[in-house]
Amino acid sequence: MPNARTATESTDRRISSEEKAEIDALFARHINSGQLKYLRSAHLDVLEIERSGVRFTDSVSGKRMYDCFTCAGAFNVSRHNPLIMKALEEALDDLDLGSYDLLSAPKLALARKLSSLAPGDLKGVLFAAGGGDAIDCAIKLARGATGRQGIIATVKAYHGHTGFSLSANGKDHYRHYFEPLMPGFSFAPFNDLEAARKLASDKTAAIILEPVQGEAGIFPATNEYLRGLRKICDEKGIILIFDEIQTGLGRTGKLFACEHSGVVPDIMALSKSLSGALFPSAAVLYRKTPIITDFLNRRPNFHVSCGGGSDIACRVSLKVLEFIEENRLWENAARMGARLKGALEDLMRENPKIVKEVRGLGLMVGIEYCHEFMGPMMSEALGRHNVWAAYSGNAPQVMRFMVPLTVNDQEMDEIIAAIRAAVKDMKSLLPVALLAAKIPGVLKLLNSEKVQVATFGFLRRIEELTGKKR
Amino acid sequence: MAIQTQSNVVGADVAGQGRLERLHDLGHDFLEGKRGGAYVYDEEGNRYLDAHGAAGVFNLGRRHPELADELKRAMRETDIGNFPMISREKALLAKALADFVSGPLECCIFSVVRGEAMDAACKVARGFTRRAELIAVDGGWHGQTGFALSLSDRKDKDSYGPLIPDVRVMPFGDLDAARKTISSKTAAVILEPVQAENHCRIASPGYLKGLADLCREHGAVLILDETQTGFGRTGLKFAYEAAGIAPDILVLGEALGGGMFPIAATLLTQRVNAFMNAHPLIHLSTFGGADVGCRVACKAIKIYIREEPWRNAAAMGERLLSGLRELKRGAGSQIRDVGGKGLLLSIDLGSPEDAKRFCKAAAEHGLLVVPGEVAAQTVVIRPPLKISPEQVDEILASAKAAVESM
Repeated sequence: MPNARTATESTDRRISSEEKAEIDALFARHINSGQLKYLRSAHLDVLEIERSGVRFTDSVSGKRMYDCFTCAGAFNVSRHNPLIMKALEEALDDLDLGSYDLLSAPKLALARKLSSLAPGDLKGVLFAAGGGDAIDCAIKLARGATGRQGIIATVKAYHGHTGFSLSANGKDHYRHYFEPLMPGFSFAPFNDLEAARKLASDKTAAIILEPVQGEAGIFPATNEYLRGLRKICDEKGIILIFDEIQTGLGRTGKLFACEHSGVVPDIMALSKSLSGALFPSAAVLYRKTPIITDFLNRRPNFHVSCGGGSDIACRVSLKVLEFIEENRLWENAARMGARLKGALEDLMRENPKIVKEVRGLGLMVGIEYCHEFMGPMMSEALGRHNVWAAYSGNAPQVMRFMVPLTVNDQEMDEIIAAIRAAVKDMKSLLPVALLAAKIPGVLKLLNSEKVQVATFGFLRRIEELTGKKR
Repeated sequence: MAIQTQSNVVGADVAGQGRLERLHDLGHDFLEGKRGGAYVYDEEGNRYLDAHGAAGVFNLGRRHPELADELKRAMRETDIGNFPMISREKALLAKALADFVSGPLECCIFSVVRGEAMDAACKVARGFTRRAELIAVDGGWHGQTGFALSLSDRKDKDSYGPLIPDVRVMPFGDLDAARKTISSKTAAVILEPVQAENHCRIASPGYLKGLADLCREHGAVLILDETQTGFGRTGLKFAYEAAGIAPDILVLGEALGGGMFPIAATLLTQRVNAFMNAHPLIHLSTFGGADVGCRVACKAIKIYIREEPWRNAAAMGERLLSGLRELKRGAGSQIRDVGGKGLLLSIDLGSPEDAKRFCKAAAEHGLLVVPGEVAAQTVVIRPPLKISPEQVDEILASAKAAVESM
């Protein structure tokens, strides 16, 4: 595995805690004060500088932190990968975003590459600007091509925050304040084929799912489930959409997660790591079935997105795909993922009161704690041991580990050692919390987001006052 | 390199036959190659003056060298960044935007494209008011994502429905209709100060002022979509300044990234942003406000401040519009109307077929323009804001030649 570090690593750009406080204040005033409060409470209010390889530097402490969040899987090729940087730099010598509706050599080249790498007959390519934009494009394409309205998504699904993608999100948290969302969406429990079968009809345009549910807390789809869905779709003329925004590009140990089951969807959405961690990029691949082709021929300007499929992004993404292919990055993901999962399973056996379950596919690994309140506690404990990891948006009791796929043996050893040390730290705090959790109502209180923010914020202030900070 | 020969190899894989045919109809069946300033070249070296402008992306012209350099520097120090984290780049850009816009729009949500920024605006309006009703106007165009599409005036949108419920449409420019439509159930009123895709229809200062008053009266939020009009396009920094009002939410498009990085923004007042402060991380975007893009946008804002390109846009807009009026007089019935503001101008050619024919003829004379997305019988003219008088005359000469050859 090539070392994907950059040579620009040495410059010291640490900032003082006063300067950090100024940035925090600007962030709170002009972006979001609640977010700052929330991140502080879980000790996640780190400002990242010196991003390279599988780590970044904490701006204030100067500590090198392992990035186990990677923008929810957007840094598969590692951060500041010199080959990707070179591709971007060269692109900037002669390109800009380009006009969304015109064609160009970089657009054709990326489309050609995506077609050649995509599983099965996913040969058609549309571009988008980001994940939400890509899902909106995919659902519009499915509805437009079938002339039907029904969309079946999965419970706890996470597809994004734009109008269509939000409507397909299977958890109330992200939807609640923005209802009513689009009609025609229904939700079947994930991995429940019979539930999907009951919802599917000749009014269904598409079934959409993530081959491994990410934000829901890392739940891989079974092969039987995916094959069953394919069969239902074939029987009823329904379009099968795979959201491979997190799972694609090597993350799960195959280039695309759908290869584990051999199921080829009709539409596949890609984004995140297509960016090379440097430039926004997304694509929607589709099978050239008669209904899709006819529809697109009638809608020549279908979903032309102003920032999507930009010429610069196409050059960057092309290099990303070449890098992944040349280094067979998915093989490293499978190998390292197995090691991480094995180590976490050991940890589970040793700590049954903390770790409830370990799930994952390749380097998309999650541990589920016995209680929700352990998520923020563990984030904090991991931070002390130089690992930055966040709990899942749709499941605070699950922590995801999604390191760059370039991670090597030594780095993985260090990450595993840090997780072990963090669990040990947490054990010392737990007796009180677990005892309290037995009092009726207290567990519910502990698991409430607002209480966590208040409690952990309070604990942190005490720590700072007593000089125990990190 | 004509796409018709290319299409057999790979063009159809990217675009599909329908899109290739459309590009052919518009005379745009070439590959975008070199670019700079007001011009783009095809791969054979033919030069086009870019008055297409990618719907308001290229206010600062094609491949701005200062922005390219800034991006090269920024990519060594930052990258996309982890979206939920505190970020120096995001904080500094949000501050720069608040200062640039001036007035009460102090807060910011970043997005990657305009549609996403509009979707964020609608969501915040609903969350803030605890109401559902979104009121749009006819002839609007806001983007490709779910909420943006639901508000847009597009014939094909039923193909993707049912879309977001509780969206009502009222006639543009009609304050009486607005009085009857806006109520205590209304979450937001959404419109563009100039409808770029609809023959550049202009919202009068009185109309905008009236809408702002009605929104205040009913506790609704006024959302202005300045994705096409913002950053100097209409001869003012922002088009709403002409009305002496400020919206509660302002949607800004990719002009923010100066055509070098996809970034858009939703600006909010502190009052409205209170909802987001109370519900952090409820609306996320992986690439929205990517750290490296924030650096590019900060640089773009510096350029906007330094060059004040709205001054040139106002002057050149007048020159271009009077030239187009003259062209109309000479062209008889071929040109039905010309209109618009600043360097956001439109020619009405009477039918969608004639609009396409005009685009094709213009391309043959070195001018890149596209039909309006809402009013397909019109052609929009959106050159870079720093265009010279000679380049305005070049546009006029190409337009004249196009009309004559039709």
